[in-house]
Amino acid sequence: MGADVLMPQLVMPKLGLTMTEGVLLEWHVSAGDVFRAGDMLFVVETDKVANEIQADTDGIIDELLVEEGDIVPVGMPLATLKGGRVSELSEKVISTVEAAVSAVASEPRQFVKDSDSGRIVSTPLARKRAREMGVDLSRVAGSGPGGRIKVDDLGHLGDPIAQEMRRLPSEHGLQAQEIRPSAARLATARRVSAAKTNVPHFYITQDVEVSALQVFRATINERSPGIRISVTHLLIKALGVAMAELPTTNRIWVDDKILAFNQVDIGMVTETVDGLRVPIIRDAGRRTLEEVAIDARTLASRAQEDSLTQKEVGGGSVSISNVGMFGASSLTPIINPPQAMILGVGSEQALFRPDEAGHPFLHKEICLTLACDHRVHDGADAARLLARLARILKNPSVSM
Amino acid sequence: MSVVIGEMLIKSSSLQSLYRQMLLIRRAEERLQKLFADGDVPGFLHLSIGQEAVAVGISSVLGVADTVSSNHRGHGHALAKGVALSGFFAEILGRADGVCRGRGGSMHVADLSIGMLGANGIVGAGMPITTGSALALKMKGAGNIAAVYFGDGALAEGVIHECFNLTSLWALPVLFVCENNGWSEFSPTERQLATNLEKLSASFSIAFSSVDGNDVVAVADQAGKFVNEMRDMPSPRVIECQTTRIRGHFEGDPQDYRDKEEMSMMSERDPIARARSQLLAEGLSDLWFEQLHAEVDSEIDVALNLAKRSPEPTIDSLVADVYTPRLGVS
Amino acid sequence: MSEVRYLKAVNQALYDAMEADDTVFVIGEDVGAAGGPFKATRGLLERFGPGRVYDAPIAEAVIAGVAVGAAMTGMRPVAEIMFMDFITLAMDQIVNQAAKARSMFGGQASLPLVIRAPHGGGLSAGPQHSQCLEAWFAHVPGLKVVCPANAADAYGLIRSAIDDPDPVIVVENKTLYAAKSELPDDPQAVPIGKATISRPGRDVTVVTYGAMVREALTAADQLTIEGVEIEVLDLRSIQPWDEAMVVSSLARTHRLVVAHEAVEAFGVGAEVVARMADIGFDELDAPIIRVGAPFAPSPFAKALEAAYRPDASDIVRAVRRTLA
Repeated sequence: MGADVLMPQLVMPKLGLTMTEGVLLEWHVSAGDVFRAGDMLFVVETDKVANEIQADTDGIIDELLVEEGDIVPVGMPLATLKGGRVSELSEKVISTVEAAVSAVASEPRQFVKDSDSGRIVSTPLARKRAREMGVDLSRVAGSGPGGRIKVDDLGHLGDPIAQEMRRLPSEHGLQAQEIRPSAARLATARRVSAAKTNVPHFYITQDVEVSALQVFRATINERSPGIRISVTHLLIKALGVAMAELPTTNRIWVDDKILAFNQVDIGMVTETVDGLRVPIIRDAGRRTLEEVAIDARTLASRAQEDSLTQKEVGGGSVSISNVGMFGASSLTPIINPPQAMILGVGSEQALFRPDEAGHPFLHKEICLTLACDHRVHDGADAARLLARLARILKNPSVSM
Repeated sequence: MSVVIGEMLIKSSSLQSLYRQMLLIRRAEERLQKLFADGDVPGFLHLSIGQEAVAVGISSVLGVADTVSSNHRGHGHALAKGVALSGFFAEILGRADGVCRGRGGSMHVADLSIGMLGANGIVGAGMPITTGSALALKMKGAGNIAAVYFGDGALAEGVIHECFNLTSLWALPVLFVCENNGWSEFSPTERQLATNLEKLSASFSIAFSSVDGNDVVAVADQAGKFVNEMRDMPSPRVIECQTTRIRGHFEGDPQDYRDKEEMSMMSERDPIARARSQLLAEGLSDLWFEQLHAEVDSEIDVALNLAKRSPEPTIDSLVADVYTPRLGVS
Repeated sequence: MSEVRYLKAVNQALYDAMEADDTVFVIGEDVGAAGGPFKATRGLLERFGPGRVYDAPIAEAVIAGVAVGAAMTGMRPVAEIMFMDFITLAMDQIVNQAAKARSMFGGQASLPLVIRAPHGGGLSAGPQHSQCLEAWFAHVPGLKVVCPANAADAYGLIRSAIDDPDPVIVVENKTLYAAKSELPDDPQAVPIGKATISRPGRDVTVVTYGAMVREALTAADQLTIEGVEIEVLDLRSIQPWDEAMVVSSLARTHRLVVAHEAVEAFGVGAEVVARMADIGFDELDAPIIRVGAPFAPSPFAKALEAAYRPDASDIVRAVRRTLA
């Protein structure tokens, strides 16, 4: 009784092998817009990177199905197009009608009436679950027809703690303002929740004497003032060397398999006004300190400008997060999956320790905390790596 | 109360009994008429006043294992077949102790334990039921028969043809009892039917007899003759009883469609008055009648008081008997 | 266990019930010497004789009436209405008499009668020989309605219907008569009111009955390729129906399609949907969708009838809609 008519759609593109969802950061088109091949259609954020998606062919936007900031699973529709030119449209943009076919409505869409435009359309089950979880449905993007919110759209927004927190203000007469997080904040929130939940972390800590490192740094910076080597740069290079010497530490865990890398790529956790970014410094073990430093600086400023590309953020088995500049003595960080380690770096501490003769001797130390994915690494491996790193940092001129 | 009479001759002692039953039905319906006028009887009330001789005459030749099916004007049929008076009243008043627990009312009085398969609100509907009952009785082979009461108004219904055909074809022991009062509800039957029952019966090769339906002895006599034949050799019979509907189609019917002449003839045709004359001629005294009337009235008083004391059905009984409860089956 | 035609299971059930209980008899047009218009009663006359197998004239009202009166008088009649369309002629006896007798008479009577009625199209039999009218009867308090989808259920439900103390309408789909399915060597009664899961699945519950069960299973095969697993729930009984099983399936899948061959509007599906929208409301993660015939009489022309009758592709489409 009537043939299937698949409506042409823009769907959430899959931009990397492990990508399962993306944040629709920004629309560059709206309903009724005519676009040409090459026009920018929308921006998707994945892995803390904004990807500009361009049209490969011409078309007309019929209806936008998701709002900016919505998290959308790969393959789910973002917008409907007028006309039936699915095959002409870019595989990347239109993609995978087949993949999404089970989720695609074949019946004509039912539009919410104007008078109801303020109403949040959601299924009974989604409403019930949202109530239980304390989730505000106005903050949820619906993936059903006409933006209807289904239970899966709630994701893990509704954790019990959130529910508790939401109750607090009213029950205690407190004033609290609900702030809608930015898409990036939301993405970060979901990433770290998943990381802390799914990755079995263990931590190993060592205080490392850095007096020699300071001298080394001062010397280089004096010799080549343009480069401005930072402690972070030194740490990246040192960690690169240490891991290159202990190649079994340069591994990650993916889908019950171990992936071993043949070069040490190190992520550098970078704070921006819009949340954290983790650009990757490639081959930190083999490249020179100067190359590493220049690279790190470039990537840091690109992160600040929010212009990192997908290539600049993917991969690596380890990251470094340095909070030393804020005076914190140590940091116990959360791994950034699929990486398997992260090094937390505290501030330099001056303290007296007994020398060999038992006399107080002024030390300058930093506290390094290495968080490891226990699925890949055991305690001894981690201790060995940290010891190797400490030795390099104590003798920088020899090792770097 | 009903007696099985296997002989054709109705003795005078039996006439006394038939008279008593007719009187009981008459007095019971007169009480209902009063209760209805007072607003104590809900719904419709179709009275059989004037037609008592048919019910009593027919039932006098039936036993408990014989079945009857009735119609909307069925109070006499039910009481003559032996439905308990207090349960009968309670049913018509819509009370919990009614024979049908207040769920049927005047048009659905039934007592299956004595073979009374129910009055019926659908004209003609008792005929197929009786046909089925007769088939079952024939299969059981104990010589029982099934009788169905219907009015001349039902002759225009289609099912009568199906039933005449089937009972004749399969030789089923159905006694078709037509109470011909000349009225199809509010219209004269002569304007409703292009044939008559005798011709209809003949077309289906069913033995037919027409009797004075206001003469209880004549009815009992002919019914007895037919039923005896049917017990020996199952097959259908039609008995047409010419009778008189003294009241309207239902209570509250002004009967302005009936002419004065017909109305004035009624007392002459009253089956109870005729039976009384017969009994007086046979030597019964006025005193006998006085005593009998007092006895019947007293019986009715007792039953009616019992019925009136019966509570309204409880609301939870509403869905109680839609299905038969079964052990282990929810 | 052997593969038998649906019709054979019907015949076996009637035969076994008549063997087991002398009060069981069959009545209907051509059920005796001719063995029934579809041969469902073949061999019964030879085995049980004319005292138990009644070739009735073409007179549906009295056929139904005989069932009512005989049931009131201690028998267990099994009446056959040649095509379900003809049951219109017997409506007074079924609806006003059989259905109401027990309640109307204050619980005095149980009417253990069965009316078998073949329904459904697919044979180019036209508007008066193809209808699915089961919803009418499911709407009448006092009647039970069953609609078996395979040989084992046809046997089991007919045995249960004959054993049941109340009137049961057994609806048999004509297109199933020749279909083979497994019947155990010692077939058992199937309780009235119990549904069965013909195929488990996690994504969408498809509630159906009768011939549409096969269509739903075909749809399930197609949808599997797309990664969608539907749960096919065969109601088997329409009145009473197993709403507990439906709601428990819905609580797993959160999506519901109800499919039947009968006209969609005001049908059995509407009842299932309404109940689930009530007791299953908070389980719903998508609109409930019905699949049924369009609001038109069943047509004669082959192409028209093919378009008229709902099939697996309609179920597939409905399932996709619930997943949108």
